[in-house]
Amino acid sequence: HRVRKRRSAEEDIEVAYAPLASLDQRQSYKDDFNAEYDEYRQLHARVESITRRFTQLDARCRKLVPGTKEYQKVQEEVLKEYKKMKQHNPNYHEEKQRCEYLHNKLAHIKRLIADFDQRRAQTWC
Amino acid sequence: PFFYSLCLYASMREMTQSWPPPLTAIHTPCKTEPSKFPFPTKVSIVPAV
Repeated sequence: HRVRKRRSAEEDIEVAYAPLASLDQRQSYKDDFNAEYDEYRQLHARVESITRRFTQLDARCRKLVPGTKEYQKVQEEVLKEYKKMKQHNPNYHEEKQRCEYLHNKLAHIKRLIADFDQRRAQTWC
Repeated sequence: PFFYSLCLYASMREMTQSWPPPLTAIHTPCKTEPSKFPFPTKVSIVPAV
Protein backbone atom coordinates (compact mmCIF):
# COMPACT_ATOMS: atom_id res chain seq x y z
CA HIS A 1 0.00 0.00 0.00
CA ARG A 2 1.00 3.55 -0.60
CA VAL A 3 2.66 5.60 2.07
CA ARG A 4 1.30 9.11 2.18
CA LYS A 5 4.13 11.61 2.45
CA ARG A 6 3.60 14.64 4.63
CA ARG A 7 3.61 17.84 2.60
CA SER A 8 6.30 20.40 3.27
CA ALA A 9 5.50 24.06 3.95
CA GLU A 10 6.65 24.91 0.40
CA GLU A 11 4.28 22.35 -1.08
CA ASP A 12 1.43 23.72 1.03
CA ILE A 13 2.07 27.18 -0.38
CA GLU A 14 2.05 25.87 -3.94
CA VAL A 15 -1.22 24.06 -3.33
CA ALA A 16 -2.82 27.12 -1.74
CA TYR A 17 -1.64 29.44 -4.53
CA ALA A 18 -2.09 27.96 -7.97
CA PRO A 19 -1.19 29.92 -11.12
CA LEU A 20 -3.45 32.92 -11.68
CA ALA A 21 -6.35 32.78 -14.08
CA SER A 22 -8.27 36.03 -13.59
CA LEU A 23 -7.95 39.65 -12.57
CA ASP A 24 -10.12 39.06 -9.49
CA GLN A 25 -7.78 36.31 -8.43
CA ARG A 26 -4.83 38.64 -9.01
CA GLN A 27 -6.36 41.19 -6.65
CA SER A 28 -7.02 38.54 -4.05
CA TYR A 29 -3.42 37.27 -4.22
CA LYS A 30 -2.13 40.83 -3.98
CA ASP A 31 -4.33 41.45 -0.91
CA ASP A 32 -2.91 38.32 0.71
CA PHE A 33 0.61 39.53 -0.06
CA ASN A 34 -0.04 42.97 1.43
CA ALA A 35 -1.74 41.52 4.52
CA GLU A 36 1.50 39.83 5.62
CA TYR A 37 4.09 42.09 4.04
CA ASP A 38 4.51 44.46 7.01
CA GLU A 39 4.99 41.60 9.46
CA TYR A 40 7.52 40.06 7.06
CA ARG A 41 9.52 43.30 6.74
CA GLN A 42 9.66 43.82 10.51
CA LEU A 43 10.84 40.27 11.15
CA HIS A 44 13.31 40.47 8.29
CA ALA A 45 14.84 43.70 9.60
CA ARG A 46 15.23 42.23 13.11
CA VAL A 47 16.93 39.05 11.90
CA GLU A 48 19.08 41.05 9.49
CA SER A 49 20.44 43.37 12.17
CA ILE A 50 21.29 40.45 14.48
CA THR A 51 22.93 38.52 11.64
CA ARG A 52 24.97 41.60 10.69
CA ARG A 53 26.21 42.06 14.25
CA PHE A 54 27.40 38.45 14.50
CA THR A 55 28.90 38.44 11.03
CA GLN A 56 31.02 41.45 12.08
CA LEU A 57 32.18 39.66 15.22
CA ASP A 58 32.92 36.53 13.21
CA ALA A 59 34.99 38.55 10.74
CA ARG A 60 37.00 40.02 13.65
CA CYS A 61 37.63 36.51 15.03
CA ARG A 62 38.84 35.25 11.68
CA LYS A 63 41.49 37.96 11.47
CA LEU A 64 43.03 36.93 14.78
CA VAL A 65 45.32 34.05 15.61
CA PRO A 66 43.62 31.35 17.74
CA GLY A 67 45.06 31.01 21.20
CA THR A 68 46.10 34.64 21.52
CA LYS A 69 44.71 36.88 24.25
CA GLU A 70 42.99 39.12 21.75
CA TYR A 71 41.30 36.14 20.10
CA GLN A 72 40.08 34.95 23.48
CA LYS A 73 38.73 38.42 24.21
CA VAL A 74 36.70 38.55 21.02
CA GLN A 75 35.38 35.04 21.63
CA GLU A 76 34.19 36.06 25.07
CA GLU A 77 32.54 39.07 23.51
CA VAL A 78 30.75 36.78 21.04
CA LEU A 79 29.37 34.57 23.79
CA LYS A 80 28.34 37.60 25.84
CA GLU A 81 26.58 39.04 22.81
CA TYR A 82 24.91 35.70 22.10
CA LYS A 83 23.56 35.44 25.65
CA LYS A 84 22.37 39.05 25.49
CA MET A 85 20.64 38.39 22.18
CA LYS A 86 18.88 35.30 23.61
CA GLN A 87 17.76 37.31 26.60
CA HIS A 88 16.33 40.15 24.54
CA ASN A 89 14.93 37.94 21.78
CA PRO A 90 13.80 34.71 23.43
CA ASN A 91 11.70 33.86 20.36
CA TYR A 92 14.49 34.51 17.87
CA HIS A 93 14.32 31.01 16.34
CA GLU A 94 10.56 31.06 15.91
CA GLU A 95 10.72 34.55 14.44
CA LYS A 96 13.44 33.54 12.01
CA GLN A 97 11.48 30.48 10.92
CA ARG A 98 8.30 32.51 10.53
CA CYS A 99 10.22 35.04 8.45
CA GLU A 100 11.62 32.29 6.20
CA TYR A 101 8.13 30.86 5.73
CA LEU A 102 6.72 34.30 4.89
CA HIS A 103 9.61 34.95 2.50
CA ASN A 104 8.84 31.75 0.56
CA LYS A 105 5.12 32.39 0.56
CA LEU A 106 5.31 36.03 -0.51
CA ALA A 107 7.98 35.30 -3.12
CA HIS A 108 5.72 32.60 -4.60
CA ILE A 109 2.69 34.93 -4.74
CA LYS A 110 4.80 37.68 -6.26
CA ARG A 111 6.17 35.33 -8.91
CA LEU A 112 2.66 34.18 -9.86
CA ILE A 113 1.50 37.79 -10.20
CA ALA A 114 4.52 38.65 -12.34
CA ASP A 115 3.91 35.60 -14.56
CA PHE A 116 0.26 36.55 -14.93
CA ASP A 117 1.14 40.15 -15.85
CA GLN A 118 3.66 38.92 -18.38
CA ARG A 119 1.15 36.57 -19.98
CA ARG A 120 -1.40 39.38 -20.18
CA ALA A 121 1.15 41.75 -21.71
CA GLN A 122 2.02 39.16 -24.35
CA THR A 123 -1.67 38.63 -25.16
CA TRP A 124 -2.17 42.33 -25.84
CA CYS A 125 0.91 42.76 -28.00
CA PRO B 1 37.58 24.20 27.29
CA PHE B 2 35.99 21.91 24.74
CA PHE B 3 32.36 22.70 25.69
CA TYR B 4 33.07 26.40 25.54
CA SER B 5 34.45 26.20 21.98
CA LEU B 6 31.61 23.93 20.92
CA CYS B 7 29.01 26.44 22.16
CA LEU B 8 30.84 29.23 20.45
CA TYR B 9 31.16 27.33 17.20
CA ALA B 10 27.47 26.37 17.20
CA SER B 11 26.26 29.84 18.05
CA MET B 12 28.46 31.48 15.41
CA ARG B 13 27.35 29.02 12.74
CA GLU B 14 23.76 29.67 13.60
CA MET B 15 24.03 33.43 13.85
CA THR B 16 26.05 34.08 10.73
CA GLN B 17 23.96 32.08 8.26
CA SER B 18 23.51 34.11 5.12
CA TRP B 19 20.30 36.10 5.07
CA PRO B 20 18.68 37.08 1.77
CA PRO B 21 17.75 40.69 1.07
CA PRO B 22 14.08 41.50 1.72
CA LEU B 23 11.46 41.08 -0.95
CA THR B 24 10.20 44.34 -2.35
CA ALA B 25 6.51 45.18 -2.32
CA ILE B 26 4.30 44.62 -5.33
CA HIS B 27 4.41 48.06 -6.88
CA THR B 28 2.91 47.37 -10.27
CA PRO B 29 -0.64 48.58 -10.28
CA CYS B 30 -3.00 46.33 -12.17
CA LYS B 31 -2.85 47.82 -15.61
CA THR B 32 -6.02 48.64 -17.38
CA GLU B 33 -6.47 47.28 -20.85
CA PRO B 34 -3.49 48.46 -22.85
CA SER B 35 -3.98 50.11 -26.18
CA LYS B 36 -4.10 47.57 -28.91
CA PHE B 37 -2.65 50.02 -31.37
CA PRO B 38 0.11 51.88 -29.62
CA PHE B 39 1.52 54.81 -31.51
CA PRO B 40 4.88 53.87 -32.88
CA THR B 41 7.78 55.67 -31.30
CA LYS B 42 9.74 58.02 -33.46
CA VAL B 43 12.40 56.20 -35.39
CA SER B 44 15.40 58.23 -36.29
CA ILE B 45 16.82 57.30 -39.60
CA VAL B 46 20.56 57.14 -39.49
CA PRO B 47 22.07 57.35 -42.94
CA ALA B 48 24.35 54.52 -43.77
CA VAL B 49 27.99 55.51 -43.80
